[in-house]
Amino acid sequence: MSVLTSRARSVNDKHTQVAIYSMSPDISSEQAVRGAIQTHSKRVWRFGLALSGASDVADDLLQSTCLRALERHHQVTSYDRLDSWLMTICRSIWLNEVRARSVRKAQALSVTPEAELISAGPDSETNIFAAEVFTQVMQLPEAQRETVMLVFVEGYSYREAAALLEVPIGTIMSRLSNARQKLKNVMQHDAADAVRRSGK
Amino acid sequence: MKFSDETLKAYLEGNADAADAAAIEAAIETDLALEQRLMTLDPLAPVVQSVFENIPTDAPQIELPETAPVDTANTSGGLWRMMAVAASVAVVAVSATFWATRPEPMGWAEQAAIYQSLYSPDTIASLDNSPVTLNAQFAQAEEQLGRSLNQGALEALPGLELKRAQVLSFKGKPLIQVVFSDSQGQPLAFCVIRQGEGAPAKDVKLAAISGVATATWAQDGYGYMLIGSSEQTDLEPQLDILTTTFAG
Repeated sequence: MSVLTSRARSVNDKHTQVAIYSMSPDISSEQAVRGAIQTHSKRVWRFGLALSGASDVADDLLQSTCLRALERHHQVTSYDRLDSWLMTICRSIWLNEVRARSVRKAQALSVTPEAELISAGPDSETNIFAAEVFTQVMQLPEAQRETVMLVFVEGYSYREAAALLEVPIGTIMSRLSNARQKLKNVMQHDAADAVRRSGK
Repeated sequence: MKFSDETLKAYLEGNADAADAAAIEAAIETDLALEQRLMTLDPLAPVVQSVFENIPTDAPQIELPETAPVDTANTSGGLWRMMAVAASVAVVAVSATFWATRPEPMGWAEQAAIYQSLYSPDTIASLDNSPVTLNAQFAQAEEQLGRSLNQGALEALPGLELKRAQVLSFKGKPLIQVVFSDSQGQPLAFCVIRQGEGAPAKDVKLAAISGVATATWAQDGYGYMLIGSSEQTDLEPQLDILTTTFAG
């Protein structure tokens, strides 16, 4: 036993956990999930912010999402869209476990969104505009907010967002239409000018 | 139906007439190119994205355990499915001719031997067999199997280094494969399947299956199998210990 243990350690030191053979789903799926967590942590956090409207809840949602994903790495059958999978887990935790106790906080936030999340840009006009957009988006109803976040910010297609949110694609279209109407005021600024100013 | 850029822009700005809007929303259900165009023309998307893409400014902090926690409620289904799919893919790939000349369904031992015959020294060379990993694998395997795998006895088998225990499935029954490396780095496997109470006991039977030496026996509702790396593998040294250790 002791001999084996020391040999095992030396083997483990020399080799990182490389999945040479596809029949090792335990190891490779866990690695894939850990990699996806690193790669997509900002997106999941943003989505958590869009769902909850509060950065401290977004922190908790991200942490819970990552732990849950790691617990369930065995369920991963394709490594292609682990980002969608993480988003789905995040949303499920929000809906089933966090939303009820966060409602009061989110309501408070809809009055004063955390515009300080906007990082200081090159000029104050850009900052004011960005803060306006941020505020308008965060004041959308939750269904529109999550849809805007997935499609406009994260670049999911309408049908990908529909699959992720488990609604028909027509619902995605109408949510976006409604969101556009509400965001129209802030868009009276020249959009192209805004993009250029924000340093993109 | 073709839509001009002007029509699509009018839709995105909320200025399209109702008939156009309805036609666009209906067409998008099936028209991937239209979806792409609409997304590209959307004047709002880049603005919102430019505001949110740098939020949060720094990568958020996440605390992850070094080993994956076990989700007792949900692990087994996905794992079983994936293992079953992976095993069947591998087995089907090498057994097409075997099937053609053998009409009766294969038993678990034949499938396990065929699967094991795909292993090479490289398959097991870099497996993480640290005590922590092995302990976790054995805990999970024993939970599925419903009996002890005598990890200590398997670790002490002469001339073999324990590499991994993994959960497979054969016709819905848990099948555990424990893989070893011999002194030349060649893979050997010890498999245990839960056959259920009432399954007939069988004495040790030696056979070469799919190019590898095997020994199978069954007792008290469990089937056992030792599999070598070639037809020449001498299984006797381990067999005596295993048949004694797993005598029910």
